[in-house]
Amino acid sequence: MHKRLLFAFSSILLLVLAVSCGGGGDKTTELPPGAAPAVGGPAAPNATATVSGKIAFEGTPPPNEKVQMSSDPYCNMHAKDYPTLETVKVSDGGLENVIIYINNPPNATYPTPTSAVEINQENCHYTPHVFTMQTSQPLKIKNSDATLHNIHAFAEKNPQYNVGQPLKDMVNETKFPNEEMPLPVRCDVHKWMGAFIGVFHHPYHTVSKGGGSYELKLPAGKYEVVAWHEKYGKQTQMVDVMDNGKADLNFTFKADSKPTD
Amino acid sequence: MSSVYEEGENVGLHRFALFTACCTVFLIFVGGLVTSTESGLSVPDWPTTYGWNMFTFPLSKWVGGIFYEHGHRLVASFVGFLTVILAIWTWLKEKRRWVRWLSASALAAVILQGVLGGLTVLFLLPAPISTLHACLAQTFFCLTISLALFTSPGWKRGLPVIKREAESIPLQTLCAMTTGAIYLQLILGALMRHTNAGLAIPDFPLAFGRIIPPFTSDKVVIHFAHRLGAVIVAAMIVWTFSRIARFYSDYRLLYRPAMTMLVLVCIQLTLGALTVWTAKAVTPTTAHVATGALVLGTSLLLTLRAYGMVVVKVPANFRGAL
Repeated sequence: MHKRLLFAFSSILLLVLAVSCGGGGDKTTELPPGAAPAVGGPAAPNATATVSGKIAFEGTPPPNEKVQMSSDPYCNMHAKDYPTLETVKVSDGGLENVIIYINNPPNATYPTPTSAVEINQENCHYTPHVFTMQTSQPLKIKNSDATLHNIHAFAEKNPQYNVGQPLKDMVNETKFPNEEMPLPVRCDVHKWMGAFIGVFHHPYHTVSKGGGSYELKLPAGKYEVVAWHEKYGKQTQMVDVMDNGKADLNFTFKADSKPTD
Repeated sequence: MSSVYEEGENVGLHRFALFTACCTVFLIFVGGLVTSTESGLSVPDWPTTYGWNMFTFPLSKWVGGIFYEHGHRLVASFVGFLTVILAIWTWLKEKRRWVRWLSASALAAVILQGVLGGLTVLFLLPAPISTLHACLAQTFFCLTISLALFTSPGWKRGLPVIKREAESIPLQTLCAMTTGAIYLQLILGALMRHTNAGLAIPDFPLAFGRIIPPFTSDKVVIHFAHRLGAVIVAAMIVWTFSRIARFYSDYRLLYRPAMTMLVLVCIQLTLGALTVWTAKAVTPTTAHVATGALVLGTSLLLTLRAYGMVVVKVPANFRGAL
């Protein structure tokens, strides 16, 4: 009797353990660490032309999601400073935090800046919320808060990155070897903390500031200019600029427009 | 069946095994909370916690997602500690060798589970490891339930003898099939959670307004397979319950878990629907994980008892004489 029971029980367990081996997951294509996009060619041309304009916003800005910071007493002290997310930030009719970049930079070898870009965790909030940098440019991550943060980059084309910063004034540094746009960043401790990085192998990118204004320095040529927003997605326009020339290029995002890829 | 122990011997071991099983359900619930609140990476290091020893991490720093992730690690450590005691106790006091080995396999499972938990953090939640972690949690729960059952005085005294005419699918087989189906369904559920496919089909009971959704991505396939699995599991449970209610209702050891399983699966289906309708709100989503474990545990208990009750097969024309 016991042998029968043991046999029956063992069979169930074996079945259970055998099927335990299943699994699966998203298929993501990761370039090997350190592999930068091929950018061989002549030295980078001088960027003497200026493309500037405004990222206009039409309609009533949708209310941003409210932030609940009570899960961390330290953050809660600063809750009044950041009552909502900053997904849609409009000032003077212009949309801020839009990444503007070109899709077809001249084929050239672009030097990597040695100066670091900085993201700061201050009052349980990322500053800046959206920024751009070049591949392999140092990114300095600072924790100015007297609480713990982890900075987690949800990379698909770069190695994933997740580092804890339990102490105030801790600084870590990292680099992203591959182009990635956008590269979302989040704090898993404080769910409301999010940022977006645009990582490019060239220097022709910027982020819209107050009033939705922006300025891009470009070499002479004809370019496809992209404006990307975390909620509304991408818009594209062509621009043709001469050496030392200036061009106005405005984009308009509408409050009720559907997000695009 | 002859008694292995004197009556009352080692009741403490049975109670301890039962306590371990109860703590495991709680651990599964807490583990579900970690996923539901997306806190799995809020503590980026392992086995340390932000550089602290896990057991000396200050309470004041249990903020935000850390509360769930670190809490899960501590509850898991506690269950691991209980399992060590259970294995040692069983090994020292238990006379049945196969029960001793069962406790040793529970210990091995809990150690492996801890390592998988660490790996899933260090490798930033890769779906295969996270899914395996979730599946092994259910397997470990099954082991603790089995140990609690096999060390129980009722089991050791011998379960009642059942006299039944031959069935095309014996009750034991039916119960085992149901348990297997539930386990497969839990694997699908784990796969769905860890591939973030929980809202791949955003409506319920229809799927994109249709009975069969367009299979536009792997996530939709996984999600729909889990829904299909729910229908199969529910049908298996109703079948099992009907068989027991019709022919074995006098045997409380079978009828009670069968009824419990039926009630639990109703709750589970409701929680599954709520998970979709509330866009994966934390409470119904986590309760769905824990209730799934309870359905599996109840079905396993029923299966083991069905195998443990000696069935005497008699010809159909003798039935009236029984």
